[in-house]
Amino acid sequence: MSTTLTQTANRTGLPASLVVTVTEIAAAALLLAFLAAESTVMVVALLALMGAIFAGLQLWPQLEEVIVRAFHDARALATALALIIILIYPFFLGNNTYALHLLIVALIYSTLALALNFQLGSVNIPNFATGATYGIGAYTSALLAINFGWSFWATLPAAAITATVFGFLLGIPSMRTRDSYLALVTIAFGIVIQQLLNNLSWTGGANGLVGIPAPSLFGHSFMSPIEIAGRKLPPQANFYYLSAALLGLAILSAKRLHESRVGLAWNAIRADELAAKCQGINVVWYKILAFGVDAFLAAFAGTIYAFYISYISPDNFTFLVSVTIMTMVIVGGMDNTLGVILGAFLLTMLPEKLRVFSDYRLLFVSVVVILFLILRPKGLFPQRQRHYGEK
Amino acid sequence: MDSLFLQYLLNWLVLGSIYTLVAIGFSLLFGLLNVIHFSHGDVSMIAPFVALGSLQFLLGITSSTVGIGPILLVLALAILVTGVIGIAADRLVISRFRQAPAMMALVATVALGTVVRELIRGFYPQGSNPKAFPSIVEGFVTLNSLRLPALPVLIIATTVLVIVLMAALMQKTPIGMRIRAVAEDAATARLMGITPSRIFAFTFFLASAVGALGALFFASYAGVVRFDFGVQLGLIGFSAAVIGGLGSMTGAVLGSLAIAGIETLVQANMADGASYRLVFCFLLVIFMLCVRPSGLLGKPVFEKV
Repeated sequence: MSTTLTQTANRTGLPASLVVTVTEIAAAALLLAFLAAESTVMVVALLALMGAIFAGLQLWPQLEEVIVRAFHDARALATALALIIILIYPFFLGNNTYALHLLIVALIYSTLALALNFQLGSVNIPNFATGATYGIGAYTSALLAINFGWSFWATLPAAAITATVFGFLLGIPSMRTRDSYLALVTIAFGIVIQQLLNNLSWTGGANGLVGIPAPSLFGHSFMSPIEIAGRKLPPQANFYYLSAALLGLAILSAKRLHESRVGLAWNAIRADELAAKCQGINVVWYKILAFGVDAFLAAFAGTIYAFYISYISPDNFTFLVSVTIMTMVIVGGMDNTLGVILGAFLLTMLPEKLRVFSDYRLLFVSVVVILFLILRPKGLFPQRQRHYGEK
Repeated sequence: MDSLFLQYLLNWLVLGSIYTLVAIGFSLLFGLLNVIHFSHGDVSMIAPFVALGSLQFLLGITSSTVGIGPILLVLALAILVTGVIGIAADRLVISRFRQAPAMMALVATVALGTVVRELIRGFYPQGSNPKAFPSIVEGFVTLNSLRLPALPVLIIATTVLVIVLMAALMQKTPIGMRIRAVAEDAATARLMGITPSRIFAFTFFLASAVGALGALFFASYAGVVRFDFGVQLGLIGFSAAVIGGLGSMTGAVLGSLAIAGIETLVQANMADGASYRLVFCFLLVIFMLCVRPSGLLGKPVFEKV
């Protein structure tokens, strides 16, 4: 396998660094064009272009192999270039705060989708409660900040720990139930949490929580614009960098976990739970662990969301939010980090960019999701084979 | 005290009946296909809209009050149309996931539910507004010395009749035998000269039609209908079916009565009952599944090695 890969890469005669640079810059430019596109014609044209690129990758699988191989060979360059692109990206958006807002939401949803992927993708646990753990994180941090004056940075771990405890609690029934029954337990948990947020007085009830203070770092308030070399970035840019850092953390943990014994155990349980048990894998512990990891990351995302919007209400954490996140994972590609992020970006931006259809966009998106599930059941990017040994 | 108790009892049985009618569909389809038809609630909710639309059409023609005959016709039409839409939902979407992992079908039917809701909201005249739904029957019935409102009695009686008919259909008729045969093993049933696709179509029709009846009763009992009522009705019906044990009709009835029971108890005894109703319903679901993971009457699943 590895020799044939090297040969294909060599046959094209392109140096890995060039392939990496071109791919990353092209992807960034495409995203930029999509974010900036305002007319329907432009949006549709860009969607068609994306479709064409995807069809190309489908027709010539070697192309995908070349790119994957190049990223593998020139990993340092790929990481460095990606970091630079992420850092300078807001400068290209100028004062288009709407585009920046979309980007932040997409980054937060990507993190949530990656969190869910630990369960749905890696272990095949149907968890419909991501919206609830996300909400627990957001509410914990917001309540601590408003009532006790905790700073953003202090609420972050507090929210993560609270949500993880709830995640473990939710994981307990997974010892006894499975499949449809487990799915219902998570649905029920999500609805109970959402209804409690909606009805309890100390969570602000249906009105939610208002006036969550903006975080600050080394004396720099996140409400104030960033100034670098005479250029001013809108205040949202603070949160853009913050959510990008969170997604980076999520990607890193996804990668580390996937390559560790834990990831292997998760995949073994997905393949055949009984066989995994016979191999001495502690199935219950690894399942509960998946719930915990999901909740931990989702709480981070919730905290950032709460401080970014500065207003949260139970409507942000409904059953439909959980379903949306689940759809992102399935449309993007289970257990494939890039696929999941792509799915999250697409499903965050599509409804926003289809405002022309205003009243019918939810209808349109749902139809697209169904078509996706029928035509491409493994997602945009299906999971890849694991590689062992050679670097 | 007596009349209040009677009031709660009636309320419990009516809610239990409505949930049963929805839950039976989930159980029937899960027993046959191993698929959770998550849009079942939304598909069922089409019925009240069809009924309202055709009622308004009739009123437009006759421009006077409508008698009991036409009302029955309207209800029958609504049930029929919903049943056919159930078949269409299977043909267009659900049938594509027969071989796929259960999760795929689950997410696809959740999306399908959104499609149904959005179609009603977008294309039914003023679909996003709540609409008044008339009571199917007015007045009271007198049993011995008891004077009971007619609508709850009608709902409970009809549901009992539907359950009896369904049980007879499944156990005593050739079509029921075929359904059970396909549920047992579709491939072998085919060898015996049964066409599974026809059985699937019939079952989807039956499940959706019974669900439509539940939705019509729900709208009539609440006096109002909205495009998104199907979500909650579907979720509760699904929970009832799961608590009872998916695939078992008696289980669906027991699960529905359990959920309706806790709902009535909470509303009767808690100050803020109405707002915490769903919390207790779904806590019951979690508790039941932790205690009896395969539902009250569900068969425990043994794994083959």
